[in-house]
Amino acid sequence: MNDDLTVLGIESSCDDTAAAVLRGREILSSVVMGQAELHAAFGGVVPEIAARAHAEKLDHAVEAALAQAGVELRALDAIAVTAGPGLIGGVLSGVMCAKGLAAATGKPLIGVNHLAGHALTPRLTDGLGFPYLMLLVSGGHCQFLVVRGPEEFTRLGGTIDDAPGEAFDKVAKLLGLAQPGGPVVEAEARRGDPKRFALPRPLLDRPGCDMSFSGLKTAVLRARDALVTEKGGITAQDRADICASFQAAVADVLAEKTRRALALAPGMGALAVAGGVAANGTIRAALETVAAQDRATFVAPPLKLCTDNAAMIAWAGAELFAGGQRDGMDLAARPRWPLDQTSTPMLGGGKRGAKA
Amino acid sequence: MITLGFDTSGPWCGAALIVDGDCPAARYEDMTKGQAERLMPMLQEVLAEAGAAWGDLDRIGVGIGPGNFTGVRISVSAARGLALGLGVPAMGVTLLEALAYGTEGPVLACLDARRGQGYFQRFGYGTAEPFLGSLDDLEPEPGLKCIGSLGAEAAAHLGAAHAPALYAPGSAIARIAARRSAAAPERPAPLYLRAADAAPPREAPPVILPETLP
Repeated sequence: MNDDLTVLGIESSCDDTAAAVLRGREILSSVVMGQAELHAAFGGVVPEIAARAHAEKLDHAVEAALAQAGVELRALDAIAVTAGPGLIGGVLSGVMCAKGLAAATGKPLIGVNHLAGHALTPRLTDGLGFPYLMLLVSGGHCQFLVVRGPEEFTRLGGTIDDAPGEAFDKVAKLLGLAQPGGPVVEAEARRGDPKRFALPRPLLDRPGCDMSFSGLKTAVLRARDALVTEKGGITAQDRADICASFQAAVADVLAEKTRRALALAPGMGALAVAGGVAANGTIRAALETVAAQDRATFVAPPLKLCTDNAAMIAWAGAELFAGGQRDGMDLAARPRWPLDQTSTPMLGGGKRGAKA
Repeated sequence: MITLGFDTSGPWCGAALIVDGDCPAARYEDMTKGQAERLMPMLQEVLAEAGAAWGDLDRIGVGIGPGNFTGVRISVSAARGLALGLGVPAMGVTLLEALAYGTEGPVLACLDARRGQGYFQRFGYGTAEPFLGSLDDLEPEPGLKCIGSLGAEAAAHLGAAHAPALYAPGSAIARIAARRSAAAPERPAPLYLRAADAAPPREAPPVILPETLP
């Protein structure tokens, strides 16, 4: 088992440069260097800007994680790195930095799927046993997975277009709020009326647990434009009410689809959530209620382990290492890498391959 | 002293080992993609051919561009990982300096930067800073040699000579790094010379009105 393994994790797949050291399930250090200020002027993450920052921050993040953990490179059992999916420039920098470290130290290199990092986090934080139902909900992904092993994932359903995190960002942008949209929209929603705007709950009329959030985004745009047409702008209260109504719609959809996912996979003792959107209090509460109704244990990792971090990569790496995985110096960085390799792809295709 | 140099800033993957001024092993392969997969195995081959191990290295030399942004980051990230893991300095060398290395007299290093532009650097005359510009930004110089992927065009434009680079990129970079002063070098960072393509959002946010009293 991986109880005593000391593993360095490296993560750079979006706009956080992160490194962490784990010993067993103990997080000795978890360094996350954000880049929000670099992207603020552009209303979203700019891939080239993110890649430039990662290339010059990664080794500093690793040094800081080792120093905080009080662990030297030679004491590591393995070096785990996000090898995809994500913004390829950042993933490449992380993979190459990890290869350099692994070659220099002779330590085993483990390429980790970023989504597996999220999906296995409840085992790190709560020691959850297999199998369990996972709702992975972030800026780039939204899917229900039955997790049976470190590499055994079955997708029950997921978004057919945008991820909820993207919708939060887009709504923030439409309303002149800062990026990333998640925390800002949630803060606005706290003083808003969730019933004022009747926004759609897409795909609730269809069976199964597939979801759609693109139409919801458009509905928010229409609600905003109606107000602007009527009075030339929107008030702060209008904005708060739109945020609250939008957040309520997302929470309703996720809750109902989670109910259906639990029904599709009977016998799951636990419902776990991960990903940045799982940090939203209203959504978390809605999911907790659904789990309680189904008598499933609800597991939501602490916020800092829900958003992107390297502790989850170190943990997933430790699980893979214990299972015998070792990657070579030809390890590839992959922009797309679906967790469920057997189900028919539902999103993306063409030259870059399936997204989910 | 043993220095390993490598470069992926253009459509190639190149590496060389310099041991006390000699080059016992070097590789150069034309490559438009797959550099991230090929680089480290190539470095291992170079070391093995020279009978050296990672732990024998005293210094890393790495190409920092200008060139392909992603390619530059592949080598720079690997170099920084190696330097941290080995506890040896890594030194960044520009591809422009690598092109000019070993050529006597005034030299203009010229790289195609696309969009009708080039990356240029003057050696042995004029100002020394690398820059992004067009052929019209260049001035003639007696005895000038133009070297690099835009060397022929620049030479024709200036009425100067066109000359080949004397060394492959990896080899030149290893030699330059080996000769540099080792006094606390800064960590290698990509030399982009061109800003990231990014535009602020086009759509203006809505006007926020003052609250009206009920």
